[in-house]
Amino acid sequence: MQLRHSFTELRQGLRRNVSMHIAVVLTLFVSLTLVGFGALLNQQAAAAADQWGSELQITVYLCRDGDDNPSCDAEVTEPQKQAVQDVVEDSPEVDTWYLESKEEAFEKVKDLYGDERFEGPDAALTADDMAESIWITLEDPNEYQGITSQVVGLPGVAGVQDLREVVGPILSTIDRIKIASWAIAGFLVLAALLLVANTIRLAALARRKEIGIMRLVGASTLYIALPFLMEALVTAFLGVALAAGALAALVKYGIIDDLSSELEFIPWIGWPEYGVAVAVIGILGPVLTVLPTLLLTRKYIKV
Amino acid sequence: MIRFEKVTKTYPGPGRPALDNVSIDIEKGEFVFLVGASGSGKSTALRLVLRESRPTSGRVHVAGKEVNRLAGWKVPRLRRQIGTVFQDFRLLSNKTVSENVAFALQVIGRPKDEIRDVVPRTLELVGLQDKGDRLPDELSGGEQQRVAIARAFVNRPMILIADEPTGNLDPTTSAGIMNLLDRINATGTTVLMATHDNSVVDQMQKRVIELDHGRVTRDEATGSYGSEVV
Repeated sequence: MQLRHSFTELRQGLRRNVSMHIAVVLTLFVSLTLVGFGALLNQQAAAAADQWGSELQITVYLCRDGDDNPSCDAEVTEPQKQAVQDVVEDSPEVDTWYLESKEEAFEKVKDLYGDERFEGPDAALTADDMAESIWITLEDPNEYQGITSQVVGLPGVAGVQDLREVVGPILSTIDRIKIASWAIAGFLVLAALLLVANTIRLAALARRKEIGIMRLVGASTLYIALPFLMEALVTAFLGVALAAGALAALVKYGIIDDLSSELEFIPWIGWPEYGVAVAVIGILGPVLTVLPTLLLTRKYIKV
Repeated sequence: MIRFEKVTKTYPGPGRPALDNVSIDIEKGEFVFLVGASGSGKSTALRLVLRESRPTSGRVHVAGKEVNRLAGWKVPRLRRQIGTVFQDFRLLSNKTVSENVAFALQVIGRPKDEIRDVVPRTLELVGLQDKGDRLPDELSGGEQQRVAIARAFVNRPMILIADEPTGNLDPTTSAGIMNLLDRINATGTTVLMATHDNSVVDQMQKRVIELDHGRVTRDEATGSYGSEVV
């Protein structure tokens, strides 16, 4: 099949309908950027949940002497400690656990703030000031309510620290932004589809005489539809390229250069996740333009 | 070459059928006029031959194929064996005469060399060898129709269908066009021409099939347009 005619038609078609094509490209650009942004957020949420979820540990602090915590009246006793450990041991939600002694806790503090302040007669703290604690790694990061409620209130337990309470709101905020961006993208995708449909209708109208002759002399449907399909692919390519560029700028300047260096405790996404987002829009973009083109060319240039 | 077997075509809505139990048999190489008043079913018959529509009942055979049973993707192949000429020429105004004729070959994927060879020869056949570079708007009606005939014939089709080809032309020009169609017929191409033009029918003395309200009322081997038309 001679493609020369198709390419000539493609060039003419793009020029003839240039404002319409720009509208399609821009709508695709914005909607695909939002879809890609949603895909990035999805992966960001997954990465964060993985990190904090897999390393999720609940820490049960035991009472120490002179503890100002209202649930404590004195240093935890051996039988109390044993009772707490029994509960933890028997809980189906607990994967592994260990007891952190006062000395170990003191070492951690010294590591964090430097040894010199904790040595000699004027030490700010001694090992005796520290609380013993039980560090629990959960079987399933999402199931922690059982063990928490069992342990809280036991004699000798000062309190339970759960990182989930901090992380949860962050994750649900990410989720909400993702849903919002996908919802907006949904409307824009609809607009893009309508624009594509309109563009094809106009193009078919502008070329109806030519198409009529092509049909009469026996040009195949594919041959007639090819310039339309190529127009669809070109606009899709431009839309995807612009969106990929915008997302790349977001990842580079927003995340890699900025957020990931300022907020190091969060596992930030990077180029591999960007690749996934581009793959998503790289498939979605052509589908959004080629699919209506196929359907409508069947309608407008029916043999 | 073209055979209608008890063909009935009904369009949606009230009214009698456009074609009513029509049986016609046209042999290879024949020149046939299809005559009748407006609405008699001439155009419907031509549309059925081109497989632009399908009969409600009955069968249409064209070039050995039953066209109403032809799969959609095979229709272009059928149409490559049929050249078509219309009253309104249907030329592309932004293409030159040569390009208009070449277009018919380009879009069915013929090689460049063949196109370069065949187009001038076809223009010569229709007497437009010197006007290949003109645009259609620069030509007279008769010349434009010659371009349309060249385009229809450039692929050497087995059948040439002409729907009122002289409808927009004066008698002298019409005679020239008829002469051209006669020459094309002489090469072995079957010609089926729908027309209102009694003078050309009377002059040519070819087979005449008359339709009236969708029925065949006359089929004469060497007929005239008919006495009922003034």
